[in-house]
Amino acid sequence: MSSQFEIVGIRPADAKPPVRRQKWYRGKPLFAAALLGLIVAGCLGCGYIMTKDPSYMNLSNCNVAPDREFLFGTDTMGRDIFSMIWYGGRISLFIGAAATVVSTFLAIVFGALSGTAPEWLDTLLMRLTDILLSVPNLLVTVLLQAILGEANVLSLSLVIGVTSWTSIAKVVRTEVRQIRGSEYVIAAKCMGGGFFYILRKHLTPNFISSIMFMVVMNVRSAIVAESTLSFMGIGLPLEVISWGSMLSLSEKALMTNSWWMILIPGAFIVATLLCITSIGNYIRKKANNTQSNL
Amino acid sequence: MNDDILLDVRHLTHVFPLSKKIAVKALDDLSFQIRRGEIFGLVGESGSGKSTAARCIMNLYRPAAGEIIYKGVNICDPAQFRTHRKMLQTTRQLIFQDSSSSLDQRMKVCDIVAEPLKIHRIRPARGSLRAEAEFQLRYVGLDAGFLDKYPSELSGGQRQRVAIARALSMEPELLVADEPIASLDVSIQAQIVNLFRHLQQEHGFSFLFIAHDLAMVEFLCDRVGVMYHGRLVEAAPAKELFSSPVHPYTQALLSAIPIPDPRLERARQIRQFTEDPENFQGVLTEVSPEHYVLMREGEHHG
Amino acid sequence: MGRKNPLAYFGKKCLVFVFSIFVLSLAVFYISRLAPGDPLVSYYGDRVEKMSPKEREWAEDKLGLNDPLLVQYVRWMENAVHGDFGISYKYKMDVTEVIASRLENTLILGGLGFVLIFVLSMLLGVLCAWREEGWLDRAICKIGTVTSCIPEFWLSLVLILIFSIGLRWLPSSGAYSIGKKDDVWDRIVHLILPVSVVVTGHLWYYAYMIRNKILEEVRADYVLLAKAKGLKKRSIMFRHCLRNIIPSYLSLMAISVPHILGGTYIVETVFSYPGIGTLSYESARYKDYNLLMLLCLMTGIVVILCGILAQMINEKIDPRIKATEEAEISEVKKR
Repeated sequence: MSSQFEIVGIRPADAKPPVRRQKWYRGKPLFAAALLGLIVAGCLGCGYIMTKDPSYMNLSNCNVAPDREFLFGTDTMGRDIFSMIWYGGRISLFIGAAATVVSTFLAIVFGALSGTAPEWLDTLLMRLTDILLSVPNLLVTVLLQAILGEANVLSLSLVIGVTSWTSIAKVVRTEVRQIRGSEYVIAAKCMGGGFFYILRKHLTPNFISSIMFMVVMNVRSAIVAESTLSFMGIGLPLEVISWGSMLSLSEKALMTNSWWMILIPGAFIVATLLCITSIGNYIRKKANNTQSNL
Repeated sequence: MNDDILLDVRHLTHVFPLSKKIAVKALDDLSFQIRRGEIFGLVGESGSGKSTAARCIMNLYRPAAGEIIYKGVNICDPAQFRTHRKMLQTTRQLIFQDSSSSLDQRMKVCDIVAEPLKIHRIRPARGSLRAEAEFQLRYVGLDAGFLDKYPSELSGGQRQRVAIARALSMEPELLVADEPIASLDVSIQAQIVNLFRHLQQEHGFSFLFIAHDLAMVEFLCDRVGVMYHGRLVEAAPAKELFSSPVHPYTQALLSAIPIPDPRLERARQIRQFTEDPENFQGVLTEVSPEHYVLMREGEHHG
Repeated sequence: MGRKNPLAYFGKKCLVFVFSIFVLSLAVFYISRLAPGDPLVSYYGDRVEKMSPKEREWAEDKLGLNDPLLVQYVRWMENAVHGDFGISYKYKMDVTEVIASRLENTLILGGLGFVLIFVLSMLLGVLCAWREEGWLDRAICKIGTVTSCIPEFWLSLVLILIFSIGLRWLPSSGAYSIGKKDDVWDRIVHLILPVSVVVTGHLWYYAYMIRNKILEEVRADYVLLAKAKGLKKRSIMFRHCLRNIIPSYLSLMAISVPHILGGTYIVETVFSYPGIGTLSYESARYKDYNLLMLLCLMTGIVVILCGILAQMINEKIDPRIKATEEAEISEVKKR
């Protein structure tokens, strides 16, 4: 470097001022996270918790109310509900996660495509999503199930994912429309970055905070969708144990007034959803904060 | 002499359609050349098509007519652009006016500076990407403490330096700067212009400098082109243009520069410029060596 | 660009509407026929398995299932324009008749639910915003968060468990007791549970949105000015803030119609309430094409109409907004 050249007016970077220590857990949804962790851990490690084989139909013990042996009672087919809860939770949670992955992936690709496409294509794609939205979800699910054949865990996650991506895609599209005109994207284009490079490096980090909340909420609605579909008899069959398919016996349970068959799986669903919601709310608040500070 | 010309813009025309019926001619038969190692300044009022020209040169807009020859490649031709894509993308770099929007808010400075290297998977000359970024930063006058900062933590001048470092990390042959100093304070403007001058002497790249600040252009540039409503009305070496402008628009423009001497300043007269369409027809004619003026053939402006 | 002439404006909206319906019908037609399954089963029941190939062919010919899909679609379209939507395979009646017998029930359930949500959400929203972060506000928001986590079908089950089986106060299924079709009181008794599920499923969400809208409005400068003039809190709230909110409230409610409709469908199935929801669920399961088609079209028309309505209200409020989705997204983000 030349020595005559002097740089004027540049000060070295300041050291960071000491940050006042705050209690780290303030405002964080600790209880929800702990409860959710407990449920997830219980489901993953169900082998250690289960007292009975969840799929074993003990016909001599149908409709037993909760007691010492059957902690949560048995269902109309004589299966132990306590074991089924943990065993079936695995599948419910897996469907929630898998469906969210599918829908988020679809939403990002579709939204980014629509956001970077020329005006006419964008309008067309968005009209298409509107029309897709207007077909009742229930119907689409039934049709897709029929095409995919007998429902199993993977096909159900796929179906739920495919029917729930539109709202995220719309947010992604709007964000991408705003970001894509900005100069750093143009600069990256000049430097030779391709579509996927820009999507990965520039677009995704910038819209991720605004869709994070919706993604978390999608886990929630996927779990609800699974249980609703299984309950109605168009989701998982009875043999595949999940929180939803356990509830599909509830019509018989109503007749015999076996409250435990309805309340216990439902309580687990509601507790899980509540935890996810409060975590989602925390994420949203955080995302909003950082945005207003920028 | 022809080998000397790095960039040759020939009869470039670009039209923005506003609606189905109305269209704006942003560039109208624009022609100029930039030689290797030369600083070419492009001046003109806002809306005169300077930025459009820069974006056409960077292949961001497809011009409606005309051609741009860069190192013997017609970059307006999609086929030729594709075959030479890598060369074009590595040897041309662009600097924007607004550094706050041309740097991604969510990337650290070291990632921003090293971004072009990462895109083209070039092995950095100084070991790691981080070392390379630090070297480039030092070149533009920022120390290693800035590497882990985010653009929002920097001042406007510092941000513009980061943008320059990013452009220089590829060691470009042509640097296009689209009003790089317009959004800065006057004192910072001087720093940045000094920096440009120094860097250009060090690297020897060709430089298209777009501005509307005439004093800075006079200080920095070798040759200057004056644009008005998408047309080049006058092009000449900087000294000659500022001492003896020929076209009435250039004269009016130059007369608007304040003079830092109160007595002379009081006597200064701003020449009124009438939008006489007569002045903007004809062809570029060489009035003296290297000095081109837009005029009708056989005619001379007073 | 100035205000377009209203005729062209409505013409354009109509065109968009017709086009959307067309694409929708085409999509539903194709998808439903791509799905495997035998529509003959729903028409002839178990007899299908005993049919000889020749009889089968004759039966398929009679129902027009042998022609290429496009021909089937065009024929369906032609008849539809004349008001003939074909017959239901399962009920062996005109689909319009099948639907007409059920439509009334759904309209009562959905309409009652919608009106209640419409009124109560505004009320709760104002109550919450009146004392921001007060105990009432916090309590309502908390209840809202919790209820939003309860799946509708499960809530229905729990209510049935408590009120029908435990306490034996209310009936658990159907729209009316047998032979009491015109008994108003009987109908009301049957409606209580389904309506309360529909309302609790959606009320809190909309109340929360309205609360946020009001709070945003209260932060505006003109409220400060009104306060400086000495206006009472009540008159600022009701005369100024609420009046400004009403358009966005209306558009919100227009968007909400499809959501509430979807909720109604699920509730209907749980309570075996004879309405459109149970019907569409059945028709999809039994491949009753003609019925399915008309049901989808009806739902689609309602949804698309509401979308266009919301968009028109939004454009009226703010000419810059050109599409509903932007408005929806800003709603989502503000939540």
